Amino acid sequence: MRDGERRGTVLPGGAVRGWLDALVRERRLVGPALPRRGQTIFRVIEDAAGLDLDYCSTMMGPQIFVYPTIQPVLRMDPRTGGAAEVAPGDERRTVLFAVHPCDMQAITVVDQSFLGKTFDASYAKRRAEIVTAVLNCGAACDQGFCESMETGPFLRLTEGFDLEMTRLADRLLVETRTGRGAEILALSEGGREAGAADFEEKEAREAAARASFKKKLDISGLPELLMRNWDHPVYPETADARCLSCTNCTKVCPTCYCYDMADDMDFAMTEVVRRRSKDSCHELHFAAVHGGNFREVRAARLRQFVTHKLSTWLEQYGCFGCVGCGRCMTWCPTGIDLSEMAKRVQEDFARGRAR
Amino acid sequence: MSGRANPLVPRRAVVEERVAETADTVTLTFAARGGDLCDAQPGQFNMLGFAGLGEAPFSFSSIPPGGSRFVHTVRTAGNVSRAVWALEPGREVDWRGPYGRGWPLDRARGRGVVVVGGGIGIAPLRPAIRRLLDDRGEYGNLFFAFGARTEADLPFRRELEALAAAPPEGTTVRLTVDRKTEPGGPIAEGLVTAPLEEIAFPLEGSVAFSCGPELMMRFVARALFRRGQRPADHFVSLERRMECGVAQCGHCQIGAKYVCLDGPVFAQSDIARFADVIV
Repeated sequence: MRDGERRGTVLPGGAVRGWLDALVRERRLVGPALPRRGQTIFRVIEDAAGLDLDYCSTMMGPQIFVYPTIQPVLRMDPRTGGAAEVAPGDERRTVLFAVHPCDMQAITVVDQSFLGKTFDASYAKRRAEIVTAVLNCGAACDQGFCESMETGPFLRLTEGFDLEMTRLADRLLVETRTGRGAEILALSEGGREAGAADFEEKEAREAAARASFKKKLDISGLPELLMRNWDHPVYPETADARCLSCTNCTKVCPTCYCYDMADDMDFAMTEVVRRRSKDSCHELHFAAVHGGNFREVRAARLRQFVTHKLSTWLEQYGCFGCVGCGRCMTWCPTGIDLSEMAKRVQEDFARGRAR
Repeated sequence: MSGRANPLVPRRAVVEERVAETADTVTLTFAARGGDLCDAQPGQFNMLGFAGLGEAPFSFSSIPPGGSRFVHTVRTAGNVSRAVWALEPGREVDWRGPYGRGWPLDRARGRGVVVVGGGIGIAPLRPAIRRLLDDRGEYGNLFFAFGARTEADLPFRRELEALAAAPPEGTTVRLTVDRKTEPGGPIAEGLVTAPLEEIAFPLEGSVAFSCGPELMMRFVARALFRRGQRPADHFVSLERRMECGVAQCGHCQIGAKYVCLDGPVFAQSDIARFADVIV
């Protein structure tokens, strides 16, 4: 897009706070909150002063507001056999604010599981109601490699979000993508139309942010390479030496969508709530059937995680299941790094030791 | 809600008939409640379940015309299958479906067909066998091999013995058990792969439908490939953990495939490249 087609609004430093105050007042603002116990987390913001717009990453991504970790699905009566859908809450006031580009991409990845092969009306409703406001990243975070995964550090998506923000030297550039994005921008005062100089500064900042990455992964041919080398020793060696099957990586992964279904019955045994809650392919039960388990070995479960994110997801959904946010390696208690595992297969291939 | 229904909301069906097959296996005929229809194809499955217990996938073992009734042959194994197994006529169950891709009978038209089933794995094959026999003229030579651990473990035993005793023209039926407990009779002792050596029609260009323990299916596939059958013409029905049946919960994935959506019936050539597959 060139300047001629670009439109945006610039909020001077002083006007930003007023906008945030208005968002807190008029909407249900969910954003990165200043750390209370050392962690920035996404939660409902009650005072705009509590927003942490300088955050690097969060343990749980903002997608948990679109796809909650635990969701009641059905309310059932075990006596009559009646089953009624649990209607999702009204999210029309919710603004998911300052979502980093990798996490916005992750939400569009989760979309494919619930709006693609199978249509999930409750997911669709929540996703459609929540307004998403992206904040571009000025520099690489510790473990992020979104630049390599082509999901950041500036937004790469052209749709699926409502509004994009870029911090310039002393002002905020806001570009709206949808009418709902424009509605929340309309809560601001004191903005002016963005000009060529603003977009030039945005481009310069994007280039600088891109150049700041030390962590990289070459994704060309990677899905095919991992598919050909599914029996590479990196899986058993890493699994046996370091993987605890603790499931942290899948819990913090913003694209992990797999769920477990369970029925909770009340003490009077008159009502059952069937809920789905996020499951993990590292769990021993995940591929278990009566009389056997297709991934009984820890290495097979680690391989499922790595190859799904970096290989088979592409064949299923046309995109990677990894957005390069770096959470899995950050929160792995033994520091297992899926990008390093992929690199080892690539190095072996370069040396003629892999297919 | 936006017009489209939540795929996880079950419907209700009532048990009309319960027929014991073996000590741990029954065939249940269900009638859908409320005028619902279950328009199934051979090889597809339903999710059956109960409030408080959860759901599990069950293949159709017969597909009566009309869609108001459906039949599952159920072996008691886990919590859900035990509860389904125990259903008496008049009792109700939650159902959703039909789901998945079944046996590609169109692909078998005009060609020789080998059908191999082991134990409860014969159940998902049964509606396909029915079609092959009902439309006998549409297909080439048929070779059926069914096995179980002992005679008493063979589901549909009387039906299969009757078929073996008087097969239609161009049809061979072989029954095997791992260990014979009854003298004589039409059932031979040995592996279900052993009779495959008897197939008298050329396997190049033939189609196979196979269902049973995955290791059994592996040996069936190897035996038929050795004699010229193409992996793209060799179809297997796979069992995997399923919690949703609609390609959301993620459990049944094999590489890039969802067993619930892309299967449970796959050409062997479509899944052999993935990890954690035995066939």
